[in-house]
Amino acid sequence: MSTITSLMSRIFAGLQFENSCDVGVFSKLTNAYCLVAIGGSENFYSTFESELADVIPVVKTSIAGTRIIGRLCAGNKNGLLVPHNTTDQELQHLRNSLPDQVVVQRIEEKLSALGNCIACNDHVALTHTDLDKETEEIIADVLGIEVFRQTIAGNILVGSYCAFSNRGGLVHPHTSIEDLDELSTLLQVPLVAGTINRGSEVIAAGMTVNDWTAFCGSDTTATELSVIESVFKLREAQPSAIVDEMRKSLIDTYV
Amino acid sequence: MPRKPARHHRLLPVRPLTFSPFARSVARVATAYLVKHHMHDAMQQFAGDEFKEKLKNVDRQSESSEDEEFDGVVQADFAFFDPKPDDFHGVKTLLQSYLDNKQWDLSGFVDLILGQTTVGTVVKLEDDEDNGVFSIITALNLGRYKDHKCITELKEFLLNICHEIDKIGNLRSLLGDEAQKVGLLVSQCVVNLPPELLPPLYDALFDEISWATEDEHKNANQKRSSSTEKDEAFVYIKPEDEILHKLSMWSFLFPLQTQQVATHELKNYQLTGIVMAVKAEGISSFRQQLHALINES
Repeated sequence: MSTITSLMSRIFAGLQFENSCDVGVFSKLTNAYCLVAIGGSENFYSTFESELADVIPVVKTSIAGTRIIGRLCAGNKNGLLVPHNTTDQELQHLRNSLPDQVVVQRIEEKLSALGNCIACNDHVALTHTDLDKETEEIIADVLGIEVFRQTIAGNILVGSYCAFSNRGGLVHPHTSIEDLDELSTLLQVPLVAGTINRGSEVIAAGMTVNDWTAFCGSDTTATELSVIESVFKLREAQPSAIVDEMRKSLIDTYV
Repeated sequence: MPRKPARHHRLLPVRPLTFSPFARSVARVATAYLVKHHMHDAMQQFAGDEFKEKLKNVDRQSESSEDEEFDGVVQADFAFFDPKPDDFHGVKTLLQSYLDNKQWDLSGFVDLILGQTTVGTVVKLEDDEDNGVFSIITALNLGRYKDHKCITELKEFLLNICHEIDKIGNLRSLLGDEAQKVGLLVSQCVVNLPPELLPPLYDALFDEISWATEDEHKNANQKRSSSTEKDEAFVYIKPEDEILHKLSMWSFLFPLQTQQVATHELKNYQLTGIVMAVKAEGISSFRQQLHALINES
């Protein structure tokens, strides 16, 4: 498996999980932690670990006994929401392995693929239009963010068709200009319509991103990579600065 | 009075192969297909050169609710197409476990297949917006593509899994100095593809090969397909494999690591792969036998 890195940029391409380029299915990345599915080659896990372990914990886990963890859970630096079929052991493991300020909550939502139904960063979430009212409240409480029910290019699985961080976002290629503007206003970040893994529209399946790093599947073309690098502002990102910034604000809260 | 056919409470529903609304409805068709034995009374029409198949239908509206008991079948017009670059994702999904769980240049392999527009067929629906690929069949000349990374990795895989000492010499020469005369038969389809499509698919492939190569003789090397074995009894997942096995010069079995969708009847069987080498001269007999097998069942 090859990785493409240049001196200043923090974007890792060429990832595969057992011959699948769907990086975003088997991992979940936020500014405070990273979850990686069990199984797959050690290469997959070690790419995340070598890049992130100095800054944030990288935790191997399953959810509901499956490896498709990226599609089942949703979270940000404040918390992690897992579906009702997460086992007690998995829940305990997550609580033990993640930092104390990250609240891990199991929720009773019938749309159990939370990662497909919810897309969020540290400030805003977009959700599936049929999500329970109660779930919406939990998202707002636990993740500490504002929630908007939306569709993306006519698709209700907003968590699948976009990926956004606190600095930028990539959405379904068929999103109209008007929708792009509207979403960009809601999210308060620049957005671009594009593809991942050589023309795939399922953005969130093919990549995972936080404020300083992105991991993309091995089919991603050079053009797609340059779009990602530019919209997520990864070129000059410095992880330690971002995490220190976060830590400072946390300390302020306690005082 | 005939009993109503058993439904989901007796039979494990077939899992969809990919995640899309269409794949889910296809999976439901498969479940209904397993249950409804009178499917074969359905209308079948071959439309000239296009080889279209029509399945008897009920309505398509029931795909909206996941919980509803699916009552009938979905009407599907299958059509055969030349491989195109657009088909990349569909073909790649079908070939996901081609080399079991080995990590290799699958994308490169798919590119080779799609680059060969004169030989090979992709089965899709007539007017499908999802562009879902139901089956891919093609033949790749091992000599022509010997410098490609994916072919090198594939050869390495085949040599590694062959534990039968008497066969490995044959395999080595087929992959090595005889490679120019060897075609790798790549054939993969969704588990519930109607078998009626197989004879025209294979006919089309072998016709295209002969048109593309005129009088050049080739050995067709049928690569691993999944078959299952229980003691002495073999159950072939793909019906054409049984015919090819009988016609093959030699073959060997190897265990598979990847999980496959296991139906209720096959749960005591062990999933095994098979590699077969078939002489080109045997192909016309293969075609006849395949027609006979599908048309009688």
